[in-house]
Amino acid sequence: MNEIITDVVIVGSSLAASGCAKRLVDAGFDVIVLERHALPRHKVCSGILSPRGHRFLFENFGPLPREILHEPTFCKGVTFHFPSMVSIPMDFFGGPTPHLNRQFSDYWAIKRSGAAVHEKTTFESLQDDGKSVNIIAKKAGAEIRYKARFVVGADGPKSRVRHSVYPDYNKTIPWFMVGQKFQAVIECPLDDDYFHFWFHPELGYYTWSHARNGRQILGVGFPLGGNLHRYHANVEEYVRNKHGVKLEKAEELEGCSHNFGPSLINRYVFGKGNVLITGQAAGFFNMIAEGMSCALHSGAIAGESIVEAAQSNRPVQQVYRSLIASEVRRCTDQWNPFRIIFSNPHEADFKAALFKLDKQDQKLVLKDIWRFLKIYAPYKWGRQILSQSLIREINGEYLPSRWL
Amino acid sequence: MQIPVIEPGCIPPDPVSPDSLKGIPRQQTNPARRSIENWKGFVEHLRSQSVLVREEKSESSVFVTDAGGLAFGLPHGVVRPNSAEDISKLLKAAQRFRVPVTVRGGGLTTEGESVAFGGILLDMSSLNKVLEIDTKAMTVRTQAGIFWHQLAEILRREGMDYLSAPLNLTASVGGTLGVGGIDVNSPRLGCSCDQAIELQVVTPTGDIMHCSETENPELFERVLLGYGQFGVITEAVLKIRKFSPLTMQYYYYASLTTAIEDLQMLSKADAADYAGILTILDRAITLLVAFDSDERQKDFEKKWKPKLRGHGEFGFGLLMAKYYLLRPWKIEEALYIVSRRFTLFPEFNRAEFMRDGKIIDRTVVFSRAVWKFWGGRQMVIPDLSAKAEKFAEAVERGNAVCRKYFKYYTLYCVGIKLKGNLPRYEMSCIPPDASDIAYGCEFEPMLRDTDYSRDYLQSFKNEIYDIGVDMGLSYYRFGGMMKGYIRSVFGDELVEKHLAMKKAADPAMILNPDVIF
Repeated sequence: MNEIITDVVIVGSSLAASGCAKRLVDAGFDVIVLERHALPRHKVCSGILSPRGHRFLFENFGPLPREILHEPTFCKGVTFHFPSMVSIPMDFFGGPTPHLNRQFSDYWAIKRSGAAVHEKTTFESLQDDGKSVNIIAKKAGAEIRYKARFVVGADGPKSRVRHSVYPDYNKTIPWFMVGQKFQAVIECPLDDDYFHFWFHPELGYYTWSHARNGRQILGVGFPLGGNLHRYHANVEEYVRNKHGVKLEKAEELEGCSHNFGPSLINRYVFGKGNVLITGQAAGFFNMIAEGMSCALHSGAIAGESIVEAAQSNRPVQQVYRSLIASEVRRCTDQWNPFRIIFSNPHEADFKAALFKLDKQDQKLVLKDIWRFLKIYAPYKWGRQILSQSLIREINGEYLPSRWL
Repeated sequence: MQIPVIEPGCIPPDPVSPDSLKGIPRQQTNPARRSIENWKGFVEHLRSQSVLVREEKSESSVFVTDAGGLAFGLPHGVVRPNSAEDISKLLKAAQRFRVPVTVRGGGLTTEGESVAFGGILLDMSSLNKVLEIDTKAMTVRTQAGIFWHQLAEILRREGMDYLSAPLNLTASVGGTLGVGGIDVNSPRLGCSCDQAIELQVVTPTGDIMHCSETENPELFERVLLGYGQFGVITEAVLKIRKFSPLTMQYYYYASLTTAIEDLQMLSKADAADYAGILTILDRAITLLVAFDSDERQKDFEKKWKPKLRGHGEFGFGLLMAKYYLLRPWKIEEALYIVSRRFTLFPEFNRAEFMRDGKIIDRTVVFSRAVWKFWGGRQMVIPDLSAKAEKFAEAVERGNAVCRKYFKYYTLYCVGIKLKGNLPRYEMSCIPPDASDIAYGCEFEPMLRDTDYSRDYLQSFKNEIYDIGVDMGLSYYRFGGMMKGYIRSVFGDELVEKHLAMKKAADPAMILNPDVIF
């Protein structure tokens, strides 16, 4: 049987894969990207990239072509809405940020990375013999074998690579579902330039809205098993009554599951031996559920680690786990109460916006946030966040021993 | 979907929003490998002219990154020239076939300036002969691919020495003349590039030209500090001097600002032959001064020493002891300073390099110490250069950034004497508002055995560069400056002016294409 031999196989062709592929191709590695769909493929995503991610795209792949953006092409910042009807708009520090059309942005980035992409090829399993990794994939029903020195799993929340390394992992974490519906606008007083987010415990675990290509997106996140239509109807009614958002019947809907949680409590998964896990598969997720910028950066770090490990002849896991520490700090700091109070780990200034409110509103907002956070109580993250945050303050680092 | 190709020097409009990425470089800094249309034809053409292009991966992968270690790229082929004629043939062919050529000497750039993102890597280290030492005119004619330590070694055989070279002596002469080159005697003698009397240059279109202040002065001014944009330096005639041993003295400060004021006082008055500041964090600040002759030293001790506010070693030790006794939680920092003191200083006074209390070989002493105690495989050394009035503030602000990112670091400050108001200083390491003496500071984290992601190191460097943009400074560019910053630092008008000159000199934009434009 034919076996394809290469330096590195990256599973997934999303932004984490592009970041990783870019680093490896630049350093002269032969890289094959396995993508189960035909490119450019559709992806469920809000598309609102953080300025840090924008900068990464720019510096590594060049100016963004118009085709990879939705309308409006940019997002100025985030507006938080609270049940007490206080709304706080905040601009991003780095200026307006792109509203990516993930179908084309991911395609553009992976093409610009210079890696070879094997489309319609589904990763099945792998075996790491210490020197190289043997991979079995399927294309149109036929089995294809690959042999690579390193494998990078950049295949998202339901990572198959992660599953083949840690078969039981998926059962150990809580899963969330997010769904969004696209609706034509009758009347929408929400500012198109902002991403809108509701801290409302009765709406959902994560409720948002923004404009795209002349329609309005209403989205909601909830624990796996919930009913999207019920949650969505509830949100739609709420924004109609409270914000005057009148929308036509939904024309389209889409949804996907998310592994929200590991980045809050410093429980990342980075792989074993010559298999690296990166991006959202590793657990990277920014606060307002933006995963693209940390996917790009963690993916790049996985690539750098392979380059560095090959150059210095060190075990790749050791290098990866020390290089990734900066990204872990940056991502987990966003949930660290000490960092939130005493510095600013986010890309917009919530504290300043809060201080601008009058005392009465400040109290209402803080109360609302507290009520909202309480819906996460069953996951028992609070103590873990606190203990990890304390260790971070004393030690300067999050504990690597908590990573898988 | 079509993936657009972006020509160098061209900044397409931003489709996201005109004000996105505020204050952030608007140029790609980590370019993709260029695809070259007729690579085979190009290689064949050169072979027919007996210029060998080495295409093996084992050849090209040696040059995959530079000292900065943040940018990676592979050339399609490597050329090691035997003569200026080889380079001329190469550049003529490169213009015709539109193949980018990246020139590399010691490869000590830090932002990927000597990394080839495809095309040809021109490895200048093969042109490394000293051609003539003229002890009457006090000049040396040398091929430009030579490293400074090789040049120093050959000059020493004649009892001669170079004037000023970068502290890192594995830099090549040609590369140094292209970027500046700063030494601890720069407050007296200026950049290394100011020692050049005459150059042989291969222009981007392949003409071999000689230039000096009188012959082709325009080319001379463009090539010096020109960052490799206007020609490849193949030979240089440099000023030299008689070799002399030197004596070094140290003064210790607890305050950066005071030390900087004293450094500026000495530099302005030309009180010492060498003067610079080296620090351990921002706690132990050492002002070092050195002298080539006993007369200069006596003169200094009489006139300037009493005015210095630094302490002797013992007094400073007491001061530090008091500081850390009151702050016992900083014990780790205190121990670091002590250990650094006891390992570093003896290195400057090693018996094999000393005679009668004088350093007899600064080349060895400096470069050894630099590599043993500051260098590593990766150099992360962003820097700022400022006119005298702005300098202290720039250093303080940079210091705060170092504190934020790293546990241990060093600052290195030095003056840079200007040779007058020369065109070469435009868009260079010399800040536009400086006159007489500019000052530079390097911010150097001690990376030791810690691994950092490229993003972390780059973010650190960007924060230093941001200070430069904010305060209207320039950069030493000992190791380079991130390409995207050049427009925000020097302004569009000046950059466009240089871009127009570049386009005229290099129509296909092939010579060092990813460095500035």
